[in-house]
Amino acid sequence: MSIAFSKPGLLTTLVAGERNGYRNIGVGPGGAMDQFAMKVSNYLVGNQEDHAVIEFNFPAPEIQFKQSLLIGVTGKNFEVLVNDVIVPLWRPVGVEKNSVVKFKNKSSGGRGYLSVQSGWKAQEWLGSTTTHLEVEAGGHRGRALQKTDVIETNENGLGVLNEKGFPWSVSKNELNKIYSPASEIRCVPNAETDLLAPEFKKRFTTQALAVTPQSNRMGYRLEGETLHLGQPIELVSSPVDFGTIQLLPNGNLIVLMADHQTTGGYPRIGSVIKSDLPKLSQLGSSDSLNFKMISLAEAEDLLLSMEGLINQIKHSCFHQLSKYIAR
Amino acid sequence: MTKSYSITSLSERALLVSFGNVIDEATNRKIIALKQLVNQNPFYGFIESVPAYSSLAVIFDVKRVRLKNPEYKTAFDFVKEFIEMNFEESESQHSNLKANNIEIPVLYDGEDLGFVSNLHKQTKEETITIHGSRAYQVFMIGFMPGFAYMGKLDERIATPRRSSPRAYVPVGSVGIAGFQTGIYPQASPGGWQLIGRTPLKVFDKAKVNPCLFAPGDNVRFYSIDKEEFIHLNEYCI
Repeated sequence: MSIAFSKPGLLTTLVAGERNGYRNIGVGPGGAMDQFAMKVSNYLVGNQEDHAVIEFNFPAPEIQFKQSLLIGVTGKNFEVLVNDVIVPLWRPVGVEKNSVVKFKNKSSGGRGYLSVQSGWKAQEWLGSTTTHLEVEAGGHRGRALQKTDVIETNENGLGVLNEKGFPWSVSKNELNKIYSPASEIRCVPNAETDLLAPEFKKRFTTQALAVTPQSNRMGYRLEGETLHLGQPIELVSSPVDFGTIQLLPNGNLIVLMADHQTTGGYPRIGSVIKSDLPKLSQLGSSDSLNFKMISLAEAEDLLLSMEGLINQIKHSCFHQLSKYIAR
Repeated sequence: MTKSYSITSLSERALLVSFGNVIDEATNRKIIALKQLVNQNPFYGFIESVPAYSSLAVIFDVKRVRLKNPEYKTAFDFVKEFIEMNFEESESQHSNLKANNIEIPVLYDGEDLGFVSNLHKQTKEETITIHGSRAYQVFMIGFMPGFAYMGKLDERIATPRRSSPRAYVPVGSVGIAGFQTGIYPQASPGGWQLIGRTPLKVFDKAKVNPCLFAPGDNVRFYSIDKEEFIHLNEYCI
């Protein structure tokens, strides 16, 4: 059971859960940019959350289905077309063989996740099947997908229905909890937050910052009025994390994303909270954002609520699917 | 007693222990000792620890830590206390750390070897001898998978980074930057002064443990000739 890429898209990779335990040798966790959308796409088709899914950006890939497959597509700001007919996102969809699947974006930004029942076949490296582009390991031959690549499923069909869609989906209300309001990105203080000069500390959370085109899986470069430390300081390299907000020497900011290096030498003036990383991952280069500082205790509670929501969606997906498919 | 370190949050799932903003062997040994202690006696929910020059990140699963320790307001509070309670023990251990001794063969034919020797008014042979005359501590691994920052160099060969970085540094290149030395585990752009190259794969993705080095290891370089380089070459080029 397989699909073939007639168009590869700008950057299409197999992604999965984070690769933990190797930061001490310089290998970061990587994984999906929008981990909420990645996990939910798996749940929609009855998979556990760590199966490899296809992460795509725009321009998006065009895919030929060689067999009938049950898929789940999640993400923001785009439509899914099966043989030029729009099918819903955030819902399991049966795609018949010889269909062509395309994606059409509605605005800049947005990235999507395409899962399949039983998961896409991917190579494991250091405990995760997610692609590590720099080392060229994991995923599909350690690289982004190319034209004519064929990706297989882990198992043959487990009973796909010939329906265009199933009568349930992740609700608007549930999605709003993760993605709204789109431009408000909450953060917590970081190691060097207190080194910001007081007037700039205020500017950090009051001004709108533009997401620049120099934003990718490694980091989002933001532009606004510049910020500066009270005293310039030369820092020796120190650990960073997905969501770390660094102040660059020119006064602009970069938010480290999924493929960040494990350590860095720029002042860390904040950290985007884990539960707002999916939202941030869906912003593109014509979007702007505002940082809002909250307490670490609030951020932890928000993370636990997001994990609770993900768990709730998982159970609901599995329950609904069990009515249709013998698992 | 005032504390010799500070603890801050790096993100909800990461706590940062910092011993200041320095590059020296003794401070780094404290980091390595704390890392070993936490890794060997982890708390429930511990994921991994990340040593750097003078700081250590402790990564954890917020949900697990909170479930196991409901009396704490935050997971951070629990992990902070855990580190504080274990700190003194790690302090007493840092003189007998577990570390590997690793020897690295080098063909000293780097493009910047002449620049380094000239800068210090010595012959190339003297530069090579000094580079191989002491064991270096692996302070941390970062920048790219498997890139080990080692030091400190004898001041007689310490050299600033190149004023303009190279767009392409070949895999295995041995370089100098300030008081540090290191090996490029993959081809990449880079600004270090290149003094030679090693035939060993210091990062091999096909291995279960891909990285030849671990933070805290002691590394010594020795000079080889072209013939030995070819004999030892682990790259199939």
